[in-house]
Amino acid sequence: MRRTYQTAKYLCLLGWSTFVVFPFLWALSTSFKDANAVTSGATYIPWLEFEPSTKGWQSLFSSGSQGINIVTPFINSAMVTLIASVISLILGTLAAYGLSRYQFRAGFVKNSDITFFFISQRIMPPIVLAIPFFLMLKEIGALDTIAGLVLVYIALLLPIAVWVMIDFFGSIPPELDEMAMIDGCTPIGAFFRVILPNSVAGIVVAGMFCLIFGWNDFFFAFILTFTKTQLLPVAIVSLNSSVTPWWSLSAFALISVTPLALVAVVVERFMSRGSLAGAFR
Amino acid sequence: MLTLENLSTSDPKVPLQSLSAHFEAGKIYTILGRTGAGKTELLRTLIGLDEISEGAVYLDGDDLLRTPIRARQMAMVYQQFINYPHLNVLDNVAFPLRRKGQGKAAARARAKEALALVGLGGFETRMPPELSGGQQQRVALARAIVKHARILLMDEPLANLDYKLREQLREEFPRLLHENAEGIILYSTTEPAEAMQLGNELIVMHEGRIVAQGDPGTLFDAPPTVDVARVISDPPISICAGEVTGGVLHFADGFLPGQADLILPPDGPVQIAIRPDALSIGGDIEARVSLAEFSGSDTIVHLNLPFGNAVMLVDGIHEFHNGDSLNVALDPNALMLFSQSGNNITERAD
Amino acid sequence: MLKPKHFFLLPALLTLAAIILFPLLFTVRVSFSSWDVYQAGLNYIGGKNYLRVFADGRFWESLMRLSSLSLITVTLQYVLGFALALAVWKEAKGQRIFRVLFLIPMMTTPVVMSVIWRTMLHESLGPTNDILSMIGIGPVPWLSSAAGAFISVIMVEVWQWTPFMFLLLLAGLVSLPKEPYLAAAIDGAGPWRTFWQVTFPLMAPVSIGAVIIRLIEASKIMDTVYVLTSGGPGTATETPSYYIYIRGLRDFQVGYSAALSLTYLVLMIITLTIIAKLLMRFLVGKEA
Repeated sequence: MRRTYQTAKYLCLLGWSTFVVFPFLWALSTSFKDANAVTSGATYIPWLEFEPSTKGWQSLFSSGSQGINIVTPFINSAMVTLIASVISLILGTLAAYGLSRYQFRAGFVKNSDITFFFISQRIMPPIVLAIPFFLMLKEIGALDTIAGLVLVYIALLLPIAVWVMIDFFGSIPPELDEMAMIDGCTPIGAFFRVILPNSVAGIVVAGMFCLIFGWNDFFFAFILTFTKTQLLPVAIVSLNSSVTPWWSLSAFALISVTPLALVAVVVERFMSRGSLAGAFR
Repeated sequence: MLTLENLSTSDPKVPLQSLSAHFEAGKIYTILGRTGAGKTELLRTLIGLDEISEGAVYLDGDDLLRTPIRARQMAMVYQQFINYPHLNVLDNVAFPLRRKGQGKAAARARAKEALALVGLGGFETRMPPELSGGQQQRVALARAIVKHARILLMDEPLANLDYKLREQLREEFPRLLHENAEGIILYSTTEPAEAMQLGNELIVMHEGRIVAQGDPGTLFDAPPTVDVARVISDPPISICAGEVTGGVLHFADGFLPGQADLILPPDGPVQIAIRPDALSIGGDIEARVSLAEFSGSDTIVHLNLPFGNAVMLVDGIHEFHNGDSLNVALDPNALMLFSQSGNNITERAD
Repeated sequence: MLKPKHFFLLPALLTLAAIILFPLLFTVRVSFSSWDVYQAGLNYIGGKNYLRVFADGRFWESLMRLSSLSLITVTLQYVLGFALALAVWKEAKGQRIFRVLFLIPMMTTPVVMSVIWRTMLHESLGPTNDILSMIGIGPVPWLSSAAGAFISVIMVEVWQWTPFMFLLLLAGLVSLPKEPYLAAAIDGAGPWRTFWQVTFPLMAPVSIGAVIIRLIEASKIMDTVYVLTSGGPGTATETPSYYIYIRGLRDFQVGYSAALSLTYLVLMIITLTIIAKLLMRFLVGKEA
């Protein structure tokens, strides 16, 4: 009985792993193909079934008539994502700390309502805000700019940062804040000197989610940018709709997803080294 | 000198009710009370962590309530082990000194001395999460002592430690607390023995009020009220209903405790308090054992007596079974009398 | 009077309010106008747009589609995510490699992966049908039939987001107490019973949290549909987001799409809040 359970387990794991990895392997293989290898049916293994070529990869870095520029969208995506994530993390962590340690009251609005306000932003379907954002950014001349996108992304990422950090601060005993104040810190000083240094794990997780949702956004970038500021996801979709060969498309896709895949490895290492609230057991 | 005037809070769980007291520098005050009596509430209010609804607090003339927490020059040791997890032991203890403005080297030097004092010399580079409970509490203690605060507050600091560690630290406390001799030390606990051993002066709290303040020995021998008697006795004191009729003291059902040199109050109902050492084995009172437990090297026996229930303390370890019949004797001179309203009306004729 | 606590909360609160309140209020105003490609501007036509929404069959169909899509994908993601988390939870060979591997799809850009999936699901040139034909299954019309397209979207969503469930559920499993398992082992419970009597109940809070979060995110699905099927074939995979996008940014019926957006938003808030509260109550009831 135990044996069947074990084999079932490993079959499951291997099956799912194959499912996970297949698209990447396919894209990798396809990125080295040329017209012959694609049009005669599905082919998989280079050298065995087709002659590999680097046309796909080369086209990414040339900006000639045959070229598809990947460098500019990559840099744009990086800038917008990083700036928006950093700002969201800073504002979000501060807000989460305030909500977890203090009582707010404005009429009938209390802490839980304010928290709900932040977190419920995630329910907002992007389409609802897309058109007004478009019209408003147009008004202030921020359409098709990095700054305009950063502003919109902050609205997207701030709730995530608040969500994660409120949960995290809940696991730090308030007695620690109190001890800091008894020892001579101002309330704000207690936060920066004592609580923040102990919040690195939470910030890493919040930061990871901010990076993910920021880097991977398509819709707002699609609606609010055109030619001057193109982000990676939008670039690949416009490639998809024109007559772009599969090999360029695949190469482009692989480069797009690599940065966050690396982040995954880093975060997994970080998380398996120490859990979030282990110090406070 | 610390003065409390009619201090009240509106905490939903344990509101403090109009507390007034004086505390002098150089003395150790133990605050004794059951869980929920308001001890922690009092300490937190003094530190400034909880708000008061009424009253005032003065420290050497300064109105404390106008002073922010960081400026009150107080130190606190919590029941839970609270240390800064991201700093090593040395920096943990040096932290308050650095906040006061001392240079890193000077602060660390004094921290090192404090650590040696609490017996943690050599632990400077360790991190708090690596330490045992007792060690963590010593670090917290060192950090509290190194400040030479005007008021040192300790909220049941030994409650989360095991029995042996408690004893050990309790013995070290007088030496340790001597470091802070110029300040006022408030130590809260639920254990009467601990309170009496450590304190110069004892304060008893009950249901949000201070019900007694004075010399531990005196309070133990003659608790002013029934509540104080109950809180201060361990093993527990037993209160039975009684009455004085025709100048003679007897229990409610008529049982006579025997002659005692007590000056009796006028006829009327009284409460008779029986200390655990008032009962002894061998006598002509028939009793039945309802529970027997060991405590240290003594046996505590809960008895059903003809006139009520009482607890007896017996030297040494003896085996008793529930339901056993036993003959016991009651020492009438070890009884105390309390009025129906709870005041101590025991008067001995001597 | 500015107290420390305001320093913490206000920057974020004011920033967020500033960025979204104006657009939101603006949308409300626009929804009461007939702004479209012929007549740009804010006139006032009362609730006409909303009446039109009410009668718009295509909109309500898209909502139904979204409901079934969300429920199916979230259920699949939950079951698979849980199974995977259980498999990787205790000692398993290559545990860490599996963990990292399983996280990766969640980190990828949905539109980018959809582009790749499109090439994979190509009926004649893609590997999916090629491999299926090797085991005798005829060419499957992944993207050219209504049912196929629906299933394709589900497949891609499951591929993409099961890692999210996996992550949350694994974190939950790792922090479970050991005692109930010792008790179960002493009672001689096998793995199946242990799961249903110990693991599953203990994981209830984490499960509910994960499902709620995933439902919220799933209710916004747009990217995959846009790239993979463009809402088609026909309207077979058209979600509310996609339909509103067509009305608003293709047909440029700005006023009407504003009314659609707000209706959609309000419906989502109400539905998701009700679901969340029901699940929470279920949780609290269990503990009682």
